This record gives sequence, structure tokens and C-alpha cells, in this order.
Amino acid sequence: MATKISIKELDSQFAKIRGLDLVIGKVVEAGEEWSEPVGPTPYPDITALRGWDQRILARYPPFYSPLSDFCEFCTYGKCDLTAGKQGACGIDMEAHQGKWSLLTCVMGAACHATHAHHIVEYLIKKYGEDHPIDVGSEVDIEAPLIRLIAGIKPKKLGDLKEVLTYLDNQVTQLTSATATGQEQSPIDYESKALHAGMLDNLALEVADIAQVSALGLPKGNSDTPLVEIGMGAIDKSKPVILCVGHNVAPGSEVINYLEDKGTYGSVEVAGICCTAHDLTRYSKNAKIVGPISRQLMFVRSGIADILIIDQECVRADVVDEARSVGTRVIATSDQICAGLPDLTDKTPDEIVKALLTDTPAVLVRNPAKVGEVAARAAIEAAPQRKSEKGLKDEQVLANTSRCTLCRECTENCPINLDIGYAVNAAKKSNLEPLQKIFQECIGCGRCDEACPQSIPVLSTINAASTAKIKEEKFTIRVGRGPIRDTEIRNVGRPIVMGEIPGVIAFVGCSNYPGGNEDLAKMADEFAKRRYIVVTSGCAASDLARYRDENGQTLYEKYPGDFDAGCIVNTGSCVSNAHPIGAVIKIASIFAKRNLRGNFEEISDYILNRIGAVAIAWGSQHQKAMAIATGANRLGVPVILGPQGVKHRRAYLGRSEDNEKWMVLNARDGKKVYGGPAPEHLLYVAETIEETMVMAARLVMRPNDTPKGRMIKLSNYINLHKQLYGTMPDDVQRFVRAETDLPVTMKDDVIPVLKERGWKPIEIPDPTLLDRMVLRRE
Amino acid sequence: MSAKITSYETAEIRGPKLAFNLTPENCGRMLMRSKRLLVVVGGDALKMKVADGVDVPEVAARLARNLGGTIVASPGVFKAFQSVSDVKLINMGLEDAVNRLKDESWKGFDGMGAYDMAVFIGGLYYFQSMMLSTLKHFAPNQKTISLDRFYHPNATFSLENLTPDKWKAGLDAMLQLLEAKK
Ligand code: SF4
Ligand code: SF4
Repeated sequence: MATKISIKELDSQFAKIRGLDLVIGKVVEAGEEWSEPVGPTPYPDITALRGWDQRILARYPPFYSPLSDFCEFCTYGKCDLTAGKQGACGIDMEAHQGKWSLLTCVMGAACHATHAHHIVEYLIKKYGEDHPIDVGSEVDIEAPLIRLIAGIKPKKLGDLKEVLTYLDNQVTQLTSATATGQEQSPIDYESKALHAGMLDNLALEVADIAQVSALGLPKGNSDTPLVEIGMGAIDKSKPVILCVGHNVAPGSEVINYLEDKGTYGSVEVAGICCTAHDLTRYSKNAKIVGPISRQLMFVRSGIADILIIDQECVRADVVDEARSVGTRVIATSDQICAGLPDLTDKTPDEIVKALLTDTPAVLVRNPAKVGEVAARAAIEAAPQRKSEKGLKDEQVLANTSRCTLCRECTENCPINLDIGYAVNAAKKSNLEPLQKIFQECIGCGRCDEACPQSIPVLSTINAASTAKIKEEKFTIRVGRGPIRDTEIRNVGRPIVMGEIPGVIAFVGCSNYPGGNEDLAKMADEFAKRRYIVVTSGCAASDLARYRDENGQTLYEKYPGDFDAGCIVNTGSCVSNAHPIGAVIKIASIFAKRNLRGNFEEISDYILNRIGAVAIAWGSQHQKAMAIATGANRLGVPVILGPQGVKHRRAYLGRSEDNEKWMVLNARDGKKVYGGPAPEHLLYVAETIEETMVMAARLVMRPNDTPKGRMIKLSNYINLHKQLYGTMPDDVQRFVRAETDLPVTMKDDVIPVLKERGWKPIEIPDPTLLDRMVLRRE
Repeated sequence: MSAKITSYETAEIRGPKLAFNLTPENCGRMLMRSKRLLVVVGGDALKMKVADGVDVPEVAARLARNLGGTIVASPGVFKAFQSVSDVKLINMGLEDAVNRLKDESWKGFDGMGAYDMAVFIGGLYYFQSMMLSTLKHFAPNQKTISLDRFYHPNATFSLENLTPDKWKAGLDAMLQLLEAKK
């Protein structure tokens, strides 16, 4: 951010100057307490890392799948951009897709930056600027992303403000680049999208370390409690307060108020989506209804007396839906005012009265006030709800008599469920197909809108599944937040050497092609194979909503350590910062690389040496794409499930393109073949089989030791045979020497290698950066 | 009388370049002109046997066998091709395969040159739609035919939306035509 100009001696007609140091902008202090030298890119501006982006994009060029043939961004349009045509402004489809990619990532980054703003401002107001950043006694590197990107070491909440200012500035600049007549090259759009992704990751960390430090959320302990999750876990006999969104502040104030009054035990505080995770991190008595896919279903059930909405992932129809079943609504964020009257300046008495009489939905932008109002109003409203609300299941199911099997609903279902057939079966009293759909449905409600007979299709799914809803009661391990430095010390070497086959993070939303079970089965398989499995957000909730053959949830089955064969729930979306931070910490703690403002070097290290892969099987939101793109810039590949294709962009390598897989050998500066490892940075898979084998392939890195590669290959070949029935077509690309081969597979693989003309290669000390070459021959 | 052809998913509205809608027999005639055919089988192929009674791997194998084509099968359905030994078979994800198909300089899986026709069958509707969109926009010379049960506007040629029975019968008629010609 700062530029230093030193003038030793200047003798001009205007002035004589000697020994002047002039600093423009904010100085990044080396600081007495932090002796780490400042790297080349503290607070990088939007082009500072363009060189790194160009390097990775040359290997993994963007692959676009346009969702529309048109551009509709300016009044010249709309313009047809089909098959090479340019729009009236001169843009073609490739650049237009690059623009979409940037816009998507900017939206995500803006959401997380705003979220970080809200939570930091709230916490500073409550605890003061000097409240220390403390994310646990075993966590010395408290903020790996902030150290790496901003080049500062935050000590107190107030220190985070300058990071927020940086985020604001950068997000504004990137947004400006999306306007007509601004950026034009697809690769530069993508470089900016990668920048947006990086900013997004940075914002995640700001938000989460602030709340971990000030709200007393778990500080990286592995044995956080198991809490209840599921629609059936909610005790309807109590007043129910439902919090939807991502900002824990209002919900935590509800708990504070109830605790103060000694009534917490008699009121149910539950959440959906990421607020839910953070509520359980705040109090183990809070409950999680489920991921975003349960939002409309649960709101429609009318069980909530009060619905608190904060920000992000809140359905645009949720206020109307809640009101239609008599649930009172409190909107709490500047981001979602929802057209509601702003009662922030009224007294709690006045707001409670309004909610219970003539204004059943209000905006209150003060978390503490929301806490009191929601608690009091829920207690007063509950008796009324219990006696009045809700249609009986039979009444709802009676609607199916109007079904003509036109299948309009089916044709509108985003995941192609044959809901029309199921509704029609219910008409003939067979509820089984609807119950099966309940397991897979993402709860979007598009079928309702489509039905020409005005059948409330989603409600019929629920009504047919009442018994299943009651049984929907599982356990989830509370999000633990950071990964401890002590854990990194234990696993850093085995990960880099490849002895732990990899870190697989299950992240993202619940927009699956076939229900959450697929996700859970994948996580189970990788944990069994002793990968380190990490999860967060809606994916973490969905992993809980599954029992194995012994009736155990995955959180009951596997420990919560950051170690081989464990499943770590870090928490909400913003705690995605921690698995990303963990790979950065490996570079710092294990490899002793400097983090401070040293983005390129650390990304180069991660890309070439750390076998981490993320799977966003149900990616729905722009934030998911932004998080993934940020991980990509750091060298972490991401696999999306099939719905992710609608993000429109992947970053794909070509395994046969040998030139693209050349790396510099840092030992002597020679260009050598490192293999397609990892082959892609962002890939969209169609099926779980493809996802699992791809993940086992993408964890391979050029730097793997023979022992490490042996373990990774063993899993890759084994999964390939198990799921596809054959030896991988590309096995020869991943074997550098016979010592890479698993002993038990040698007899199988060696003949294949011979047949394919395989030759051994040297294992390099790989880098893509010229300046990392230690010595040239 | 003309019928309005719409995509299967209501909101998948495209234009102005839309797939020519062909009958299964005309698809067969079109395919017979192909000198280098690639049959791309999507990850939903096995479900179609249960839902619609069509054995997609079998259809793909007969197509490739009769026209000397290569099959690229999405990994999730690859196992279903294990008994197929007389056609060239590639196990590859659709995104990976389309990434190669869109490259004009790509010489095919056998290094013998570009494919003059790519047949798509067995894909998840929305996923396949996007893969066809990639080719429509970035490989406008690559001809594509969708043989799935539902109209795919982003293909060059596509079947219209059919009932399962009509789809099955249509594919049978098309294959018989190819086999008779052979
Ligand atoms: S609510 Fe469920 S069944 Fe209805 S369209 Fe959405 S995913 Fe399909
Ligand atoms: S849209 Fe309505 S009438 Fe048509 S099949 Fe679906 S539920 Fe039945």
C-alpha cells in the first residue's frame, strides 16, 4: 500500500535536498514484535499478482460453458454472442464469460467482506478496539491469510479495520472492471476473478478470527461437543426462534437475553445455514435445523414463532412464506431490508407489541435489541401457534387430486426429479415416491410455481414425509474453528511427503443432483482411506444427516482432529478460512517459508507440494465460486458437482500436453517434467464416482516422495479399479520411478507401463517461479 | 401442422441458433454420413434404463460398432461398458472430453484427426446442455447430435421431447436402419 521514495542528494533550480525519505500511503511496519521480512506483495493491488495468474492460467486455461447466448449488460443490447459474434460494444463470448466469472467472484467477495465488516463493527462496539485477537493457545499463526496477503499480524480487533478498508477498495476496483468499456481480455478478467477469490478468502478469515476471539467460539479444540441437527430435532413444545443466514450477532444476542433471564432452557433457538453453525459454536444448546435446502420446508411447517433473517442465502420469498403460516419476522441486516418498516429506533416494548399485533414483520438493525425482542415475542406468540397454525397433512395431500400428470413440475425441477410422477402416485394414495423425493429434494419450490393446477407441490412432499421429518434427528460436531499449529507440526511432514494421501475438504452449499447421502458416502470413503477430511458450512450439516450401516453419523464415527482418518468440522462458511489457512501454515511451519506479503511463493509451494483438494458437490452460491477461485489462486484444486457447471467456468489442464507440465527444478534451474499434478484447478464432475477418482488423482504433486506417491497411487489405482473396473489410462504419467509403485500393485502396473512406453524421470524440487531457483548449472 | 419445440427444462431458453429437430430416422441418416464419429455417453445413462427402459450403453455400442465410431463414456457409467470389446472405448469425464473436442487442433483419441460428428446421449440434462453450449460457442464447426429423450437447443441436431416409449422405439428404428445399411 505504501511507496517509499529516498532522495540521497538533489540539487535543482528549485531546491537542494539531502537524505530525504518520503513515504506515500500507509507504511507496513516491520514491527519490533514481528521480525519476518516483508515479502514482495503486501496488500497486493488488482494487478500485483497478474504474473502468477498468467502462469497458472497458461496451464489451466478457463473453460467456459455459457448459460445464455446473449449479453444484456448495456442498452446497446441485448446482443447475440453466439459462436464468435461480437456484441455492439465489441465484446465476444469468451470475454463476456470472463466478465461473468469476475462478477460472480466479486459478488461472493463483497458478501464476505460485508459480513466481515458487520461482525467486526459489532464486536468492536461491544468489546472495544483493543480486544485481543486470540484464537487459541496452540495457534501462534493466528491469521495465515492476513499475514500472507495483507502482510500484517493482527493483535487486536481494531487491527482488522485496515484489512477491511483494503477489501473495500479492491472490491470496488474489481467491480468497476466489470462495467461495459472496461476490462476486455478473458485472461485478465480471470486474473481479476482470482484476485476477487483471494479477497474473499481474506474476508472469511477476518470475520472468523474476530468472532472466535471475541465471542468465545471454540479455539481449535478437536473434541467440540456433538449437538443436534435435523428438522426432527426441534422441540415444538417450546417457543421456537429460527435464525437464517450467516451473521451470528442477532442470534447470539437472543441467547444472551434468554440466559440473562434464566429462560434459555425453555426456548428453542435454532438455525438454518451458516448462522446455525455459529450459534452452536456460541452455545451447545442451540440446534441446527439443517442446510439451506431445508429453509423453505421448515419455514412452511410454521413451527418457528419468530424468524430472524440476517444476511446471505436468505430466500427472497421467506418473509411472505413465514407470514403465510403466522410466523413473525425480524430482518436484521442493512443487506436485507425486505421492504419492512424500520423499527430500530423504537423501544423493545414497542417492537414486541408491533410484532404481535399489526406489524408481523419488521426491520431492526441492532443485534442486542433483536435479542430481547425475538425472545419476548416468541414466548408470547408460541401458545397461539400451537393452537392455530398449520394445515393437516391430509388437507395438503388432498390437493394431489387435481394432478393431471402434465409434468410441468418435473420440467422445472433444477435437479430433474420426477416430481410429477410422485405427486400423481400420491393422488392414488401411494406416498412412497414423494418420500423418496423428500430425501433428494433441494427445497427450492420451483415445482410449486410451475404447477398449472396450483398444487403446493413442495408442501405435499413434506406432508407425505411427516414420519421421516420426525426421524430427521442426527448429531453434528460443533465447528471447531482454527487448525492448531501443533496439529500442523504433526501432519505437515506426512502431508508434504505424501504419507498422508491428502487433505480433502467437503465444502459448499446443498444443491446436489441426488441428495446428501452421496456427499456423506464420499467423505466416509476418504476418511476410511485415511485422508484428512475437513468440512464446513452446509456441506458439514449434510454430512451429519446420514447414518452408516451401524446407525452412526460420520461425526460419531470419526474423531475431529486435523489428522489422517478424521473428519474436522471447522464451522460456518467463514470458517472455510481455516482449511485454507492450514495449507498456508504447512508452508510456514513445516517448510519455514515466510508468509508476510509473500503470496506467489506460498502459492507456488502449495501448488507443487501440498496434496489438498476441495469438493464443493452442491455449489450453488456466488460465494462458493469465490471461495473456490481463491483456493485456486493459492494452488488448491476444487471439484464441483454437476450443478456447478452453471457457474459457467472451469480451469482445466490437459494431461497429454507435456509442455504444460514442465516445472523448474529449484536445485539446478533446469526445466523438467513434473507430470499433470494437479491436472485441473477447477473441474466439474457429473457423478460421485468421477469425483472420488478425480480427487484421488488431484492430490498428487510433483514433489511427492516415492513413499508418498506410492500411497497416493495406491489409492488412485484402487479407487479406479473399484469404481471403473480398470487400471487408469494415465497411470504412466504419475509413476516417476519404480519405487513409486505400491508393492502389491507392481505385478499389475509394470506390464502396463511397458506397454505404454514409460520411462523413469527424476523427482524435481519443483517451482514455477524463476526466483525460487537456488542454483543454476 | 407445426409444433413448437421447447427445451426440456422450461427456463433453458436459447437463441437465435437452435438445434435442428430431427426424427430418430433422420438422425440415423445424418449419422451415416459421418466418417469419424465420437459417441459421448453421459453420467445419467444407467438411470435411463430404469426410468425409460432404454439401455444407453447398448445403444452407444451399437452406434459405434456400426459406424466405426469411438465411445467416450463418463466415468460414472464406464463400468457398464466392460463387456464391450469391439469398439474403441475411452473413460473420461464430459468436461475433459469437451475440452478436447473444442480444440480445433486436437487429433482425436487415436491421433487420426478431428471427429466430424459428436453424438451425445445419457447426460444429466442441465450438464449436457452446458457441454453442448461450450461446443456451440467455441467450436462452431463441431457438429453435434443429441439422441437424448429431450430436446437440446444447444446441439446442432436434436431429437424432440419424446415419451419413453417413443424414444425407445425411435432409437430402435434408427439402429435398425444403420444395421440394415451395413
Ligand atoms: S422443491 Fe424439490 S422437487 Fe420441487 S423443483 Fe425444487 S428440488 Fe425439485
Ligand atoms: S405440475 Fe401439477 S398437475 Fe402437473 S404433474 Fe406436477 S403436480 Fe401434477
